Amino acid sequence: MTTRSWRSGLALLAVTTLTLTACGLDSGESDDTAEPAESAAAEEITGKITFSTLQLKPTFTEYIDGVIDDFEAEYPGTEVEWIDIPFQGAQEKIATDASAGTLPDVINLNPNFAQPLESEGLFVDLDTAVPELREDYVAGAWDAFQVPSQEGSFGFPWYLTSEVTMYNTDEFEAAGLDPETPPATFDELYASATTISESSDGEVYGMHPALENRFMLDLAKEGVPVLADDGTTWTFNTPEAVEHVEKLAELYQDGVFPPDSLTEDHAKETEAYQAGQVALFPSGPNFLTIIEENAPEIAEATGVGPQITGASDAANMSVMGLMVPTSSENQATALKFAEFMTNAENQLAFSKIVTIFPSVKDALADPYFTDDSDGTVESKARRVSAEQLDGAQNLLPVQYDDRVKAIVVGKVQLAMTGDLSAQEALDQAVEEANAVSGN
Amino acid sequence: MFLAPALIIAVLFHLWPFINTLVLSFTDARALGGGSFVGLENYGRLLEDPNFWLATRNTVLYMVVVVPLLVVLPLLLAVLVQPKLPAIGFFRSVYYSPVVASMVVVGLIWTWLLASDGMVNQLLQALRIVQEPLPFLTDASLLLFCCMLVTVWKGLGYYMVVYLAALGNVSKDCHEAAQVDGAGPVRRFWSVTVPGVRPTMFLVGLLGAIAAMKVFAEVFVMSYGTAGPGGQARTLVYTIREVGLGLGGEVGYASAMSLALFVLTIGFSVGYLRAQKAETP
Repeated sequence: MTTRSWRSGLALLAVTTLTLTACGLDSGESDDTAEPAESAAAEEITGKITFSTLQLKPTFTEYIDGVIDDFEAEYPGTEVEWIDIPFQGAQEKIATDASAGTLPDVINLNPNFAQPLESEGLFVDLDTAVPELREDYVAGAWDAFQVPSQEGSFGFPWYLTSEVTMYNTDEFEAAGLDPETPPATFDELYASATTISESSDGEVYGMHPALENRFMLDLAKEGVPVLADDGTTWTFNTPEAVEHVEKLAELYQDGVFPPDSLTEDHAKETEAYQAGQVALFPSGPNFLTIIEENAPEIAEATGVGPQITGASDAANMSVMGLMVPTSSENQATALKFAEFMTNAENQLAFSKIVTIFPSVKDALADPYFTDDSDGTVESKARRVSAEQLDGAQNLLPVQYDDRVKAIVVGKVQLAMTGDLSAQEALDQAVEEANAVSGN
Repeated sequence: MFLAPALIIAVLFHLWPFINTLVLSFTDARALGGGSFVGLENYGRLLEDPNFWLATRNTVLYMVVVVPLLVVLPLLLAVLVQPKLPAIGFFRSVYYSPVVASMVVVGLIWTWLLASDGMVNQLLQALRIVQEPLPFLTDASLLLFCCMLVTVWKGLGYYMVVYLAALGNVSKDCHEAAQVDGAGPVRRFWSVTVPGVRPTMFLVGLLGAIAAMKVFAEVFVMSYGTAGPGGQARTLVYTIREVGLGLGGEVGYASAMSLALFVLTIGFSVGYLRAQKAETP
């Protein structure tokens, strides 16, 4: 090869490298030995800790700052530095911090984000560290931070939500349905949605499937054993699940779901409900506030019913938690702060700012969650949702991460378009999900 | 000494990540843990991974469709806006404006336009070209085609500016001589303009091809992160992201995929440059 060719080759290599290095990924190696810090044993509540949350700034800055100030006043000598991470990209930041051994002293995660870190033994086991606190919290919320086939529970449950069934009473009336009787089961939900679609002659769709948000949860509600008992093998290709997918495909092909809903997410479902394009909207009661802000007329017409349940009769709740990494050098203060942030008084105050629910039983018993005598849809939604929490569980398996979700939702989409049969779709989804999960 | 800042940046932010990716591709590194040497296992896995091959097919198809359009259309646009006419600056700015818009914003706008109840479908139905809305966003092939159109639409202005600079160097004497010989505008375009900007056309083709191989945002935004039903409109970068990111990310395997993309790109680039060399008298 001539010198000129070598030069050309090197120049080309350099150019292509520059354009492709964006695809390279940093090392995933972890040198975090997850050793409990020596200070764990120390009982003294003092010193500086860092506290990270998921997308709470700027809406709740005043509230969080207030709680931090109260904590620092109650425990002189402590200092809390608050960091807020946007939800988008949070997993990557957390993974990087975990690999580098620089996780914050108190970290706000949901069970699905927390599970891979819990499996690596990166968080303090609260069943061992603060066993006396377990009884204070809603049982299902405390259990949400357990890892299948692993001892312990790793997160202080923080705020909760439990889905209710919101529906457009005007569309119910127009379709000849009773606006005072919302659907309570999947069969009733799909029947109502079909009636509305048919009677509106394509003007309004019954509902939106929001597969990425709801599919696996609905299977769990239908009593499908989505995971084997050992928590390692996906098993959701049962006859009941096949029936469920066949029903979704039928509804999609019959035009009960909007045509573009196949690939759309929960945000688009919310938009569609606000725009009056869909009549049923099973979602968290916190979305009522958003609907009121964006579409007051739709909010005015919105009725609220209990969460749709299936064969298992179980209600789901979504949980946010606070974890204390074993790598924290100030575990005593971190544990005390997490307990303080999630105590009844602070959670009750938080719940009055936004429609969320406290995970502490004492706070949940407050009349704010039980009294809907003012007749507003918000207070009814609050009461209905709070009543469900007592027996609710986090039904979504913590192993249902983004990759497994992409596989499952992708196969269900193909079943809905008729490219695969429901059985083929679920069989392929189980096989691929198990391969990705390392089974 | 003067080279040092650029050299340090290049080594730290380009060369080192590239070497790191190369090393990781031979390991079982995950977002959390792993990192043991596994030899060629990741590359063996690539050969049997249907998603990788689907992504490769889509990426190559993307390049094959987008590159000719990005070579030809901006040239025509540049010829159109080259004359110094009143208000021509306005048109140049309008054609260039998509370049400065965020790809996410552009993707969202096109998603609204191409939705089943969007403007494009309404227009097609109003003109009675179709009876039912076309599934631009929920049919994998149509989705991929729409993403290609968005890439071309967004890139037109950028390459138009490149061609405008090249057109400025085409000899006016040649144009005048051709005109004297009786050549019309089309003949002059083929016989004078195109030969005059041929090196630029090769450059645009190479840059367009590399950009097409890295396509991600269009597919991600217009499919709400799903790459269409069943992920069937996936591209290589989309798949690398899916495999490598998140707390369960397989960093080693994603790195092997990145290297495969690198080899594909450099292989194409070498072939392309050789073709250019053969063309150059």
